[in-house]
Amino acid sequence: MTDRKGYFDLSGPRLSRRSALKGMAAGVGLAAAPGFVRYAQAQSSEPIRIGFQSHRTGIGAAYGRWYERTTSAAVKAINDAGGINGRPVEIIIEDDGTDAARGAEVVAKLANQHKCDIVYGTLFSHVVIASAPTAGELKIPYYVVSEGYHVASGKLNRWCLQPGITDVRAQVTSVAPWIAANAGKKVTQIFPDYAFGYDHRDYLPPALKQAGAEVVAQIAIPPTESSFTKYFPQIPSETEVIYHVMVGPGVLTFVKELGDFYGSSGPKLFGFIDSLEAVDINSPGLEYLEGSHFWEGSPRYAQPDDTEAQKAYRAAVGIDDNGAAAGDPKDVSTAAHMFGCWETLYVIKKAMEDAGYQGPQDRAKLVEATEAMTEFTEGPEHPQGRKLFNGKIHQVFGSQFISQVKDGKLNVVHKTTIEDGMYEPEADYTTQPL
Amino acid sequence: MLQSKSDIAASPSRHMAGAAAAMLALAVFPSSAFAHASESGHVLLLPTGYYLAGGALAVAASFLALAWLPPQALERIWQRKQPLGRFGDGPRTVVSLLSFVFFAVLVAAGFWGSRDPLANPLPLTVWTLLWAGLTLLHGLFGNLWSWLNPWYGPWRILSPLLGRHASARSRLVEGIGLWPAVVLFLAFAWFELIDPAPSDPARLAVAAGGYWLASFVAMLVLGYNQWSQRGEFLGIFFSMVARFAPLERKDERLFLRWPGAKLLDTTPLPASGVAFALLALSSVSFDGLSKTFFWLGLNGVNPLDYPGRTALIGIGTMGLVATFLVLAALFLLALGLGRLLAGPGARPAPAAGLLVWSIVPIALAYHIAHYMTALLVNGQYAVVALSDPFARGWDLFGTAHMHVSAGIVAGAHSAWWLWNCQAGAIIIGHVLAVLVAHSLAYRLYGDNRRAALSQVPLTVLMIAYTVFGLWLLSTPAAG
Repeated sequence: MTDRKGYFDLSGPRLSRRSALKGMAAGVGLAAAPGFVRYAQAQSSEPIRIGFQSHRTGIGAAYGRWYERTTSAAVKAINDAGGINGRPVEIIIEDDGTDAARGAEVVAKLANQHKCDIVYGTLFSHVVIASAPTAGELKIPYYVVSEGYHVASGKLNRWCLQPGITDVRAQVTSVAPWIAANAGKKVTQIFPDYAFGYDHRDYLPPALKQAGAEVVAQIAIPPTESSFTKYFPQIPSETEVIYHVMVGPGVLTFVKELGDFYGSSGPKLFGFIDSLEAVDINSPGLEYLEGSHFWEGSPRYAQPDDTEAQKAYRAAVGIDDNGAAAGDPKDVSTAAHMFGCWETLYVIKKAMEDAGYQGPQDRAKLVEATEAMTEFTEGPEHPQGRKLFNGKIHQVFGSQFISQVKDGKLNVVHKTTIEDGMYEPEADYTTQPL
Repeated sequence: MLQSKSDIAASPSRHMAGAAAAMLALAVFPSSAFAHASESGHVLLLPTGYYLAGGALAVAASFLALAWLPPQALERIWQRKQPLGRFGDGPRTVVSLLSFVFFAVLVAAGFWGSRDPLANPLPLTVWTLLWAGLTLLHGLFGNLWSWLNPWYGPWRILSPLLGRHASARSRLVEGIGLWPAVVLFLAFAWFELIDPAPSDPARLAVAAGGYWLASFVAMLVLGYNQWSQRGEFLGIFFSMVARFAPLERKDERLFLRWPGAKLLDTTPLPASGVAFALLALSSVSFDGLSKTFFWLGLNGVNPLDYPGRTALIGIGTMGLVATFLVLAALFLLALGLGRLLAGPGARPAPAAGLLVWSIVPIALAYHIAHYMTALLVNGQYAVVALSDPFARGWDLFGTAHMHVSAGIVAGAHSAWWLWNCQAGAIIIGHVLAVLVAHSLAYRLYGDNRRAALSQVPLTVLMIAYTVFGLWLLSTPAAG
């Protein structure tokens, strides 16, 4: 069979968004295909193979769907502009099932079987944490878009990097000054009783204290709970702000019961949009959120002052002004996180260019080139905003958005400075051998 | 410092007592959680309690109505047929051969197509179009699999060369009943529900291709009919479900009948057949149960920090088997109590073999309710993937670039519709099951009063299963 459709001719803008993302089949299929011979002979135009460890199934599938769409859009944009080092980018998706053990297997598969240059993409902390040792053993760069503090904490290894999304510690820290100055000085935290909630439980109080406010109560809700009213009497009457980070199917019930409990009065609310990613803010039960504030990693709704880069990014990914899939208004995106895929891919591009990356033999150089980066300028490659990268802890720092629910939309009312989220680094990966 | 942050033991929770070792190992790290609020969040706000009560009442009321209805009148209505014309067997071989070619292409795609389970046509066809979708079509149109199965055509071509006949019987499997199918169905259910990556294209290609080959060899060695009726579990499952269909083909003639009426023409299943039917229902029920906060909490798993399938292999395997055993025990107990109430008359084994047919409408209802959202969304992915099965940029059917609308099942409005359709299916399925069971009991006892008495315990079980089914769909679940 000939290559009439040009699929294997990946050198230019003809590579469609879909064919780029669907990726090649298994390595064996690629090697067996006639068109492959040309690339085997012409090393320089062979695609750069990025293994995408993706939550296609399992508990993270809603995030996986949008990570896939964002990745697809970014790869198309990169290829349309000539690829990386003159070579097209090809994405090979392997489903990790949002499963920790499977995640590690997938990293090995992408490295050994599919001969990927790097591995990229995953979100859920338990998958990242379980996969990182495999990436380290195989000495393959592992770029995650996970938001967890596990990268910056120094608990992973030198091959794991998070250059496209800020971590939860920075996020929590950076919203504290705004809460203290605008919402109230006495804060009660309500969070799910496990590790995710503990990040908020532990990082918010010191940050609030520094801003002149205090946490007056911390209410941990058992993860299997589906009715919340019985916990509300624990909220001290002096509370001025309820800081809530509930997640899971019970969120809508939580908000509704909170509204029923307080009626038209009650403390102000500050939440993390993680609670309602991919959920319409206008859903029945969420009426009590009107007027309340949320952290957003990147605004879900189009804003009047959106930059051209932000507009172009939204159009490329395919989300409308309400942050839902264009033409499918009920398919609400995971806007606060998925921009990290776009930006990570551009960091990888820049790092590969800086390192003069040719192939797997240059993987260590690629890690070093990434570590050497310090700043990403706001623009088409970083539509969320300017960022600073700390090569020692492999973690990026950026601005956060605080948005208010008004007339059923999230309107950005404040953008934190990058410095608001900075903390003292606790690790230095660059001391580890490559 | 990190350990103190996330030490689960330091934060006692009555629901999380006894967390599994795997969970504790993960818990030493801080975590971001992205447990999606998901569509079940909207269902939690619906007045589902009324549906549970209403469903139970509807099933109970159906039973009471039947107890007073003259069974002969009911039988007359059920046995009505509307002839629809002739429908011969002519193209069966060709259809099966085409199906075989399609299957072979799919398996090849599993090996050499995209690695993405939502872009590769093999997992989408097997799990969504075939298992979720084709089952429903069997409930509507009858035994399509007897034509569509990918063995009959190749067998017709190869068997004359080997001197084999369709009705050839091998002594090897005499008296073995449907036990091979029970074992294979259990393996299938385990692969679907417990295996860490049943949608991995290459893994599924090995499993599906291997199953095809093993079944084909068995058909050649033991006889096509023999193995189709004893070991090929998909065919046996589909033929059971097809008994519900309003379409009937008999002696190459097509008839329209009442849904479920064909279940009354059945003969008693052997013990292995009873086990097969109960396994089919219990496995789908367990799939629903295994994702509930209740089940996860019971097993010390945090549903908001769901560790993935690998960590739950042991719990899942145990649960899958236990669900089957509990259902089987309850079913047999209900029949035993029924015999006590009605007095002697029907021998226990044929009674169980006959009355188990009443499970079919329930199994079909669970199937509809359970796979509805997967069918609506992954069905779209399948249409996209089939247009470019080898990820080569083809667009065979013009659908390769179709946008997959995930919004079709998203939001409160969709959740309301889905819930009502699911609840409707569950309740109607159980009402029909009561109807079928009652008619079959009349056949066993030949007396309406005793038939009704014998059905009291089974009806109680069906009411309980109605409530259980609705609860499964309305309780918080992971993912």
